[in-house]
Amino acid sequence: MPSMLQVVGKQLKSHPALVPLFIFIGGGAAMSMVYLARLALKNPDVSWDRKNNPEPWNKLEPTQQYKLFTINMDYSKLKKDRPDF
Amino acid sequence: MSDQIQEKLKNYRTAPFDARFPNTNQTRNCFQNYLDFHRCNKALSAKDQDTAPCQWYQRVYKSLCPISWVQKWDDQLEAGNFPGKI
Repeated sequence: MPSMLQVVGKQLKSHPALVPLFIFIGGGAAMSMVYLARLALKNPDVSWDRKNNPEPWNKLEPTQQYKLFTINMDYSKLKKDRPDF
Repeated sequence: MSDQIQEKLKNYRTAPFDARFPNTNQTRNCFQNYLDFHRCNKALSAKDQDTAPCQWYQRVYKSLCPISWVQKWDDQLEAGNFPGKI
């Protein structure tokens, strides 16, 4: 593993124009991993521990937004309208 | 509190937006309201209260769920092998 990095480092020194390539590919990979981690940890449909956390979507408040982009949807105006029991 | 429920039941048009289920796939919304209706009935009748507020959940699941699913679950409830936790 470290020898591969040394080889790549030497190649980069002789072809410095390749650095932006690494930046963009690395950035893309990092964003994918972040999205997968968000899905695994924050998605209300995901339950890692079914005994202690059986229905995680019920923990969402009526005004809480999970989606990243919502067009034409103002979550702050929503109210809870289900009866309690 | 029950006046509010009566008011809402009287003005009911369709299932309102539920922040817990914001995407196109509303399967879980349907199942959750079906479960909530039966849980509400069970909880309120255990406390000897009027189960009228539970009608909200019934209206919502009747709006959302395909009739065949509701019939299947009702049959399973009667037979005693309904898979959900009530």
